[in-house]
Amino acid sequence: MPTHSAYPHNKESAPQSRRNFLWQSGGGLGGLALTSMLGQEPLLGSGILTGTLNHPPKAKRVIQLFMGGAASHLDTFDFKPALIKYHGQKSDFGEHVEAFQNGLGPWMRSPFEFKRYGQGGKHLSQVVAPLGEVVDDMAFVHNLVGKTGVHSQATYLQATGFQRPGFPGMGSWVSYALGSENENLPTFVVLPDHRGYASNGPKNWASAFLPTHTQGTTIFPQRENPIPDLHAKAEFVTKQSHKEGINLINKLNSDYALTRAGDDRLDARIKTYELAARLQLSATEALDISKEPDHVLKLYGLNREQKNYPKEINVEEETEYFGRKCLIARRLIERDVRFVQIWSGNDNSFPRRNWDSHEDIERDHGPLASGMARGTVGLIKDLKQRGLLDDTIIHWTTEFGRMPSTQGSKGRDHNPYVFTNWLCGGGIKGGVTAGESDQWGYKPLERENPTQVYDIHATMLHLMGIDHKQLTVRNNGIDRRLTDVHGHVLDQLIA
Amino acid sequence: MTRLLQVIFLIAPLGILTAESISYDRQVRPILTSNCYQCHGPDAESRKGDLRLDVESEAREALKEILTRITHTDPKEIMPPVKSGKKISTSEVATIRTWIEEGAKWEQHWSLKPLKRPTLPKLTESQKDWTRNPIDQFIRAKQIEAGVTPSAEADNRTLIRRMTFDLIGLPPTPKEIADFETAAKKTRDHAISNLADRLLASPHYGERWGRHWLDVVKYADTCGYDKDKLRPNAWPYRDYVIDSFNKGKPYDRFVQEQIAGDALFPGTADGILGLGFIAAGPWDFIGHVEVPESKIDGRVARHIDRDEMVSNTLNTFTSATIQCARCHDHKFDPFTQKHYYSLQSIFAAVDRAERLYDSQPGLAKKKANLSQRVTDFKKDLSALDEEIKKEGGAQLASMDKEIATLRSKAKLKSKRPEYGYHSAIVKSAETTKWVQVDLGKTVNIQRIALRPCHDEFNGINGGFGFPVRFKVEGSLTADFKKPILLFDQTKNDYPNPDIASVSFQTKNKVRWVRVTAKHLAKRSKDYIFALAELEVFDDTGKNVALKAKVSSPDSIEAPIRWRRTNLTDGHFPIAADEKAIGVLQKTQADREAIVAKLRKPERQARRKKLQDQITATEKELKGIPKGKMVYAAATDFKVQGNFKPTKGKPRMVKVLHRGNIQDPRGDVQPGTLPIFPKENFEFKLTANHPESARRAALAKWITRKDNPLTWRSIANRIWLWHFGKGIVETPNDFGRMGLPPSHPELLDWLALEFRNSEGSFKHLHKLIVTSSTYRQSSSQSEEFDRIDSDNRLLWRMNRRRLEAEELRDSILATSGTLNLKLGGPGFYLFKLEKTAHSPHYEYHKFDPADSDSHRRSVYRFIVRSQPDPFMTTLDCADSSQSTPKRDETLTALQALSLLNNKFTLYMSEQFASRIQKESKTLKGQIRRAHQLTTGRPPNAQEMEALHSYAQRHGLQNLCRVLFNLSEFTYVD
Repeated sequence: MPTHSAYPHNKESAPQSRRNFLWQSGGGLGGLALTSMLGQEPLLGSGILTGTLNHPPKAKRVIQLFMGGAASHLDTFDFKPALIKYHGQKSDFGEHVEAFQNGLGPWMRSPFEFKRYGQGGKHLSQVVAPLGEVVDDMAFVHNLVGKTGVHSQATYLQATGFQRPGFPGMGSWVSYALGSENENLPTFVVLPDHRGYASNGPKNWASAFLPTHTQGTTIFPQRENPIPDLHAKAEFVTKQSHKEGINLINKLNSDYALTRAGDDRLDARIKTYELAARLQLSATEALDISKEPDHVLKLYGLNREQKNYPKEINVEEETEYFGRKCLIARRLIERDVRFVQIWSGNDNSFPRRNWDSHEDIERDHGPLASGMARGTVGLIKDLKQRGLLDDTIIHWTTEFGRMPSTQGSKGRDHNPYVFTNWLCGGGIKGGVTAGESDQWGYKPLERENPTQVYDIHATMLHLMGIDHKQLTVRNNGIDRRLTDVHGHVLDQLIA
Repeated sequence: MTRLLQVIFLIAPLGILTAESISYDRQVRPILTSNCYQCHGPDAESRKGDLRLDVESEAREALKEILTRITHTDPKEIMPPVKSGKKISTSEVATIRTWIEEGAKWEQHWSLKPLKRPTLPKLTESQKDWTRNPIDQFIRAKQIEAGVTPSAEADNRTLIRRMTFDLIGLPPTPKEIADFETAAKKTRDHAISNLADRLLASPHYGERWGRHWLDVVKYADTCGYDKDKLRPNAWPYRDYVIDSFNKGKPYDRFVQEQIAGDALFPGTADGILGLGFIAAGPWDFIGHVEVPESKIDGRVARHIDRDEMVSNTLNTFTSATIQCARCHDHKFDPFTQKHYYSLQSIFAAVDRAERLYDSQPGLAKKKANLSQRVTDFKKDLSALDEEIKKEGGAQLASMDKEIATLRSKAKLKSKRPEYGYHSAIVKSAETTKWVQVDLGKTVNIQRIALRPCHDEFNGINGGFGFPVRFKVEGSLTADFKKPILLFDQTKNDYPNPDIASVSFQTKNKVRWVRVTAKHLAKRSKDYIFALAELEVFDDTGKNVALKAKVSSPDSIEAPIRWRRTNLTDGHFPIAADEKAIGVLQKTQADREAIVAKLRKPERQARRKKLQDQITATEKELKGIPKGKMVYAAATDFKVQGNFKPTKGKPRMVKVLHRGNIQDPRGDVQPGTLPIFPKENFEFKLTANHPESARRAALAKWITRKDNPLTWRSIANRIWLWHFGKGIVETPNDFGRMGLPPSHPELLDWLALEFRNSEGSFKHLHKLIVTSSTYRQSSSQSEEFDRIDSDNRLLWRMNRRRLEAEELRDSILATSGTLNLKLGGPGFYLFKLEKTAHSPHYEYHKFDPADSDSHRRSVYRFIVRSQPDPFMTTLDCADSSQSTPKRDETLTALQALSLLNNKFTLYMSEQFASRIQKESKTLKGQIRRAHQLTTGRPPNAQEMEALHSYAQRHGLQNLCRVLFNLSEFTYVD
């Protein structure tokens, strides 16, 4: 497939013109305000496609749930009766299989029970059963295929569309295209697992060759400074000295700008200090869940009182942390943050606190999936009751799936040959399944007709009014796009 | 859409501003590249209608057809096709039409044209007034064409601030400013020239310009990808780069060292350190260490790793985007997949790993000389032995033959993984160790056999751990209070039995049998007692010790090889012919006796002398300090899981269809880009060339005097780093998708000036910073802004924001905390936790009072996957990609970082205490602080505002304000 660039923009070549400068400086944190203050065309700074979308959008925002470490489709959303029937028998894939480690033991049924939910009667495992309440709003893709069983490369592929470092995260592309609708908050926010980063860390949401402001801003809600440097932590800085300090900075900087007329950057810099002051207020407010009523907290499985959790991985703790991130995501979305990415699962250290269940599916997937499902169903219901689900896409993904055979006796090895994604809201047709896996959940049912990450990305961009082939940026000789040279919009998923 | 079209015009080449005839290279080709080459370009596989427009002969025939098709009204006929989403605009059609009308003059792509010294532009005497050197003449000529004039010279304070940041990345001190102002009052040219010389001679010059280089090559101190493991020895390459700039190393040498220093400059430290370049980029730990090369994922990881090496090399040195030809022929430039994979094969044998280098020059040579001497002495020694052998004549010759036959018969036939019993390891041979078996009941024993072990450890093999002196005893009680001596070998040494059993007859009634070693066998520098099997045969010939209970005071118990139970498990090494072992040992002893007779005193003396010389030379060799480690390209390194060295044997590289590792097609030879039409792109290498010869060939090719890409590429980079904008605005892409040069003649002049001055950076710096162009003020002009809003004609200097490192270093310098120590391992700006598995780099736990961190930012430990948030907010380079040019963004997060980051806050406190020491009055302190941050004292109004604020909130708050001034963060 050819690449084309309806919006030629060469980052390294673009002149330091007023416009380019605004692209680089505006967007998430204040493009809008900058442009209006400087008397530019409105919205220009907020995203290159604003006002010139390829088609009318159905969705305005995205919440992406990323299960780091590779969540098993077989123990959550992709029910395989054959594994119950042949449980414990020698596995036979009918071909040579290259396992990442040595996970080609006997067939293994899920340790969890599956039941039917919703009007469509979709099978869900007991650990994601809470999602049964909203399963008719969800659309499943069970025939997604990856390209590698190596965590880092696979995570890059799902997060950036490329298997290696140096490419922008999906949220960066969306920020770049659409900008923000709230100048007082970042456009793209990432809520990492509180215990640490998954594979590749912040490079999964880096801006790479897109303007820096499009990169994801990480928020750790439980930290002293949830957003780095949001508040000054020094004895000598008081409320008054801070406020008057910014005024003095702005006054001196205005004088400096006046004697250097014609340099918009100097005026814009003053504006960034005003925005910073506003961001301090709005971010603090957005992250404060103390005023949320009890029934809302309950929806997400949250309690008011602080708890001490046992050392071993457990459902309560997972629910608390994931639910809190979901609630904050809703608060951010409500305030028109464009793209929120929530991560579940940290790095591959021990004891395991991610989805890479080589040793024991039940031990790790149990609490992780239960906590995820509890927070997610709260999120979906809450967005729905606020009328936000119609234009917010929720996308659940992971880097690859897990094998239908055992590793050790209770774990599963990597399966990049097939895994599951689901989407919900924002113009997604509920209750459908686009693409099935084979009877074992080893490869797609129709091997010649799999779904790839490019198709998922193309579909999400489509719902946001963007033709994935048209959103390109020239970098080192190539017009780059999120979907590389691939991608088809999955019409079955669209309402 | 209109907005976007405006942007297109803005980035259109300057040629459009003047009334010259249409240039194919600058105006026509870009249109064809963007709209047509996708299907009618160099990539044969995707070519449609058998029409190729990037080759003159083919395109010329189709000119009429081109014009018809791009203006066609029928949507089925129009080109580019509607479904491609591309459209050639009316003005672009007009350009093509005019070009055809003007005779369709073809040109070679600008970057591939041979380098030729351009003639200086013709200027009248009055136009020449402003110019100081040829650079100014080229700049002025273009300005005249467009009708703009240069700006006035910048004032002294501005100039010294500009030059100091530009050349060493630090602010000038108030004293340096004052001295310069005084000198400039006398003769300004002279003062500027001296200033440039002073700065270029400073060791801090390399720190600033080395950082530019590290941006391009993706330098970091961790691997990136999953786990993001540390590279504790990456920094010697960083220091090498800094040092190379400081030393004024010629560019061609600099390039050659980085690609093939080991081959081209053997025995030098820089020849190895430079190879840190090839290893500088990201590396997938899991894909190499956990996944073997035999698996697809393992091969993919290694394929991507080669790709990274190829693109890093070609992008950096030649500004060619060869990586576009990995999956298909290049769509826009004349590079095929074959060219690309030829380049991959150059790096086929190297990996990224730790590698030894000599920290002192000459050590490697000395080492090589000494090793040679040892070899020579050994040669003499064997010549001496040969002499003896000759004299020994037929007898000795037949014995040697017999020994050889016996050796092959006595060879190990099989052994089991259960080796035997192995005592604890001790430091002295004279240690007593025993092991005993319980036969379960009293038995009439006939014969006992000891079976020796076999272990390749330390090259010992047969007889591993077999005691030199020992005895065997029997007993009727477990405690051996009344031992019955069965076999005694405690008075003389027992020769190593190899794997032959040591057996003896003994008629006795015993229940327990114990073997006691009195003199242990040597292992490496220590001693052990090991035995594969203890067999005790009764009068029926049955081994009654089989499966008997074994006890001993100690055992290393390292199953499955070593454990007590192995002593009676019935498994022991078996020889092909056990009897041969004994015969062999006897024959060898006989031979030794004959040889001893032949060693006459004269020979003895010669022999002793040689042996002494060998010992002495080897000792001297050991005394040479060991090299240090650098993370670099390597072919030999410590195995780490599945990550194994190639030992110099190149991996097989083939053309991969669509870049798919499972679909290899044609073979390739080491080669490069086909930019010299009359030459083969493949290198001429001998059949058995060492792998480094491939890299050496590439290094030589890149640094050819007539390589048009290399010299243009670096000249453009130097210009960009001085002015903030390149003559070519796509510094890593000089291909057809890149942008054309704004001043092609100037670029060529600079390229040749640089090359002809032996690739001297400092020569070009001096020319540039003393030029009239560089000395201009950065003030705006509304009039010229309308003509050339991007200032591509350089009618003023570009104002720029300080880069992340400059800003951080300036805060350290002004607060008085900066430690100017040069070089060494990187300092941490984070707290490092959980290093055993996936290191956590906890920036929020960093303590800014840590004085180790008060060093220049170029020495910080750079984490690739988890970059420093403070530096990232200030647009530092992203080590996951090549950064030929820094971004300059303005965000609220940046304002928050400068206001609230604990580094700024802590440094505000330090700054406050510094100025308190340097001045007594509040006003004096404010004056000093302002002088330090902006290079000038505050005016009355500013003083009043600052004073009033300081009175209310104190000096620390005041210092925090000063760090946030635009005047502090910008350079005019």
